[in-house]
Amino acid sequence: MITLLTEHFNEPKLHELETYRRLGGYEGLKKALVMGREPLMAEMDKSNLRGLGGAGFGAAMKWRTVTPEAKDPGPRYVVVNCDESEPGCFKDRVLVTRSPHQLIEGLLIAAYAIDARRAFIFIRGEYEVQHGILRQALDDARAAGFIGKSLFDSGFSCDIDLMRGAGAYISGLDTALLETMEGKKAWPRQPPPFPTASGLMGRPTLVHNVETLSMVPHIVLQGGVWFARLGTAKSGGTVLFSVSGHVERPGVYEFPMGAPLKDIIAAAGGVKAGKKLKAVIPGGVSTPVLTAEELDTPMDFEGPRAKGSFLGAGGVIVLDESADMVMVAHNIERFLAHESCGQCTPCRQGSFWHERILERGLNGGGTAEDIATLERAGENITGKVICALGDTVGVVTRALMKKFPQDFKDRFPQRHG
Amino acid sequence: MSAFTPEQEKVLQAWTERYPYPNMGLLEALRQVQEWHRCVTDEDEEYLAKLFEVPRSRIHEAATFFPSFTAKPTGRHRIGLCRGLSCCLAGSQEMCRCLEKKLGVREGETTADGKFSFETTECLGACDHGPALIVNDELQGRATEHLIGKLMGEMK
Repeated sequence: MITLLTEHFNEPKLHELETYRRLGGYEGLKKALVMGREPLMAEMDKSNLRGLGGAGFGAAMKWRTVTPEAKDPGPRYVVVNCDESEPGCFKDRVLVTRSPHQLIEGLLIAAYAIDARRAFIFIRGEYEVQHGILRQALDDARAAGFIGKSLFDSGFSCDIDLMRGAGAYISGLDTALLETMEGKKAWPRQPPPFPTASGLMGRPTLVHNVETLSMVPHIVLQGGVWFARLGTAKSGGTVLFSVSGHVERPGVYEFPMGAPLKDIIAAAGGVKAGKKLKAVIPGGVSTPVLTAEELDTPMDFEGPRAKGSFLGAGGVIVLDESADMVMVAHNIERFLAHESCGQCTPCRQGSFWHERILERGLNGGGTAEDIATLERAGENITGKVICALGDTVGVVTRALMKKFPQDFKDRFPQRHG
Repeated sequence: MSAFTPEQEKVLQAWTERYPYPNMGLLEALRQVQEWHRCVTDEDEEYLAKLFEVPRSRIHEAATFFPSFTAKPTGRHRIGLCRGLSCCLAGSQEMCRCLEKKLGVREGETTADGKFSFETTECLGACDHGPALIVNDELQGRATEHLIGKLMGEMK
């Protein structure tokens, strides 16, 4: 089976420039600079590369919407979102640890495409080791002439700098990320304008996830059509899954887009200790649960959606028969309540009350009316808030209540008298 | 009198100059202050407001929003335990009780001698190595009672 991003992960020194170069590294950048912007964009168009941070927006479309220099003279930026913080997701950490130059190369190609001379990698503060690895990789690439002035004598210059976050999940949402970088609290902006028109300090900005940019050198080298064919009709290429929870071998596994969910779980060694599978959270805790009967779901951007869920950022959390779904719902809503930025009332209050009600169930004080409250209140949050975090509040709980009603009946019984 | 040494002032000054816009260095400067003082005090906020030429409220906003910054000093060693779903499935609640017992404080508190502070955190991005710990900015996976004892012994 073909892998792209993890192909050379068995090379112990892949993170070093010398090894990366020996394996053909930075040849994609060179090729892109030689072929020129429009042919590069044509390959991106054909690739069907989707944003792998969770939103799945077409990458080429995003690049094309960056306001051109002719319309808005002045600097434009590329920002790498390495603020991975959703429970269940850790692929960016692994990508940066093992193959930092792959990211840097993809970033430079994207910067060239939109003519950005400055780029930033925003990494969560807890990834201190990965921050060090990136700093070293940037220094080495700069010393070798892959970052800086007139790359490969093309006349295109670009520098890359690093910035660290300070522990807020919401910073990983593109517009909140930009606010964070500007030294403000991480309150999402209400688009439009989108960052491609008005991003960092009001300048046109392309914000991309680590995994998305890491795919770009492969598209340039092998061609957009080739990349698209690896995946499904609307989701090109491969995708990384972070598999955790009740499995034998938690870790990152690369599959072509559209691989069945059961193959991904099998790659991680299957359910731990031979227990029975109860459910799977397919894309990180903000994505609604799938049952053991839904393991044939093709894992591209369309497959989980047909089952009322999302591919998200590929954070597969496996739950065995011992899992208490009220505990799962409480854990997730508590996370959202803690990480709600507080800007939109439905999210701030809704997440708080979801946590409180679910906690009551866990502590033995739940009643059947609580279930009705969760159903009613939950429907008044999604679509009434600015960002994707708020849209998620209650959604996961309702999916759990629908698919595992007995777990909730046990914790929220009918009480008489 | 400034709360910073001349060398520290130079480091903070450098954060105002590193990025295309001075304010882009603000979060890194706050991280630096938190590391030195183990908290961000009123005086620190005043100093940064003058240095970055922004209203004090801008500094206070960032210093109170982000979990990395604290108003009261943390212990000399800051221990965080992940309470994300995957780490919970891997036993992080047991590790929480283990840490509370070993340290003699509740989650969110600092030991009387100021050596350790212990907090639970949201996802640390180490779901494949749960339960995950973060000890003084360093991720540690697969926490066990034995590992916690060993780490505590190594910290001076």
